[in-house]
Amino acid sequence: MLLVLSDDHKDHLCFLSEVDPAVVSEFGRIAVEFLKKGSNPKIYEGAARKLNVSSETVQHGVEGLMYLLTESSKLMISEVDFQDSVLVLGFSEELNKLLLQLYLENKKEIRQILSNLSPNLPHYHNLEWRLDVQLASRALRHQVKPTVTLKLHLEDGGMCRAHVLQTDPATLQHLIQEMERALADLKSNHCRRILRNIK
Amino acid sequence: MRFRFCGDLDCPDWVLAEISTLARVSSVKMKLLCVQVIKDLLDEGIDYEKVSKLTSDAKFESGDVKASIGVLSFILSSAAKHDVDGESLSSELQQLGLPKEHTTGLCKSYEDKHNALQEKLRESSLRLGHLEAVNWRVDYTLSSSELKEVNEPTVQLRLQAQNPETDSIETTVVSITADKFRVLLTELKQAQAIMNSLQ
Repeated sequence: MLLVLSDDHKDHLCFLSEVDPAVVSEFGRIAVEFLKKGSNPKIYEGAARKLNVSSETVQHGVEGLMYLLTESSKLMISEVDFQDSVLVLGFSEELNKLLLQLYLENKKEIRQILSNLSPNLPHYHNLEWRLDVQLASRALRHQVKPTVTLKLHLEDGGMCRAHVLQTDPATLQHLIQEMERALADLKSNHCRRILRNIK
Repeated sequence: MRFRFCGDLDCPDWVLAEISTLARVSSVKMKLLCVQVIKDLLDEGIDYEKVSKLTSDAKFESGDVKASIGVLSFILSSAAKHDVDGESLSSELQQLGLPKEHTTGLCKSYEDKHNALQEKLRESSLRLGHLEAVNWRVDYTLSSSELKEVNEPTVQLRLQAQNPETDSIETTVVSITADKFRVLLTELKQAQAIMNSLQ
């Protein structure tokens, strides 16, 4: 599957063919850093001064590289397709090889970062539990009432919330049975057929 | 196969896999690694520099280092949780394939810190909203806007308790009349008597 680059994108990346390959690999490194940790505009100005161009050109170049990498990683295009897509830009052989190298080395990590960007429901973080027996209360002495206290920690986009729940052993058994039934459903023929088709 | 240190359940697959990773370090280094992991379990802080130095001889990658710390944490905390003595732990680990010298080192560290580990686990057990501080004051009301001669003692109680869901300290202030306070005190003394009878 070929990557189609817009005209603006091609203009921005044109700048890369006018500089040394060493500079391009440096830009590549900066682009990956920015993808991991967020962009830092000050770096653009330093680079712009050294290369004697406007900082906007440098910014476009680096952002163009970042976009190229994220689009390629997102669509998980093969080596051949990546090379063909980049050929359109008319870069030198060396530059093409450099870009391919950059893509292959960072593909997995970029995909991991991208996977964290999709919207999420609150998900399981931790579960603490405690088994108690209530022996007496103000109203009634000589009781034996077992209870299970649960503290369910959920994480929702960086925020952690704890829910405190209490149940008696019978309800807990029922809960466990239902969840085991849900897990067993995975092994049913219907689910297996679907999973086989996805793989 | 059921193992006592896993709570009479099967040993998890990842533990089996990582035991062979552990066998790659020398037994002396393994004992020092155990000491570091126990320090981490007791919240005394783990020295990652030392750990990486200890594992560098066996040429552990970062994944291997994490795995070995993980499996040691699991074995030690699980054994303390199920109150397994050193001998049983030693024989079970040897059954799983950990070499004899490694097992002896691990069990010696475990036995030394057995009580401390159990204390720490007891402290970190789930507790909901525990009481941090109690402050009190006895006042004597002489007169008020409603009645000229009131002459009544009151107790002001300030309770600082932890909110079970947010883990932050909340302060509650109550003022209690003499009669109500007497009732409160009697009931609490009865509860204390029941607690003492259990010990």
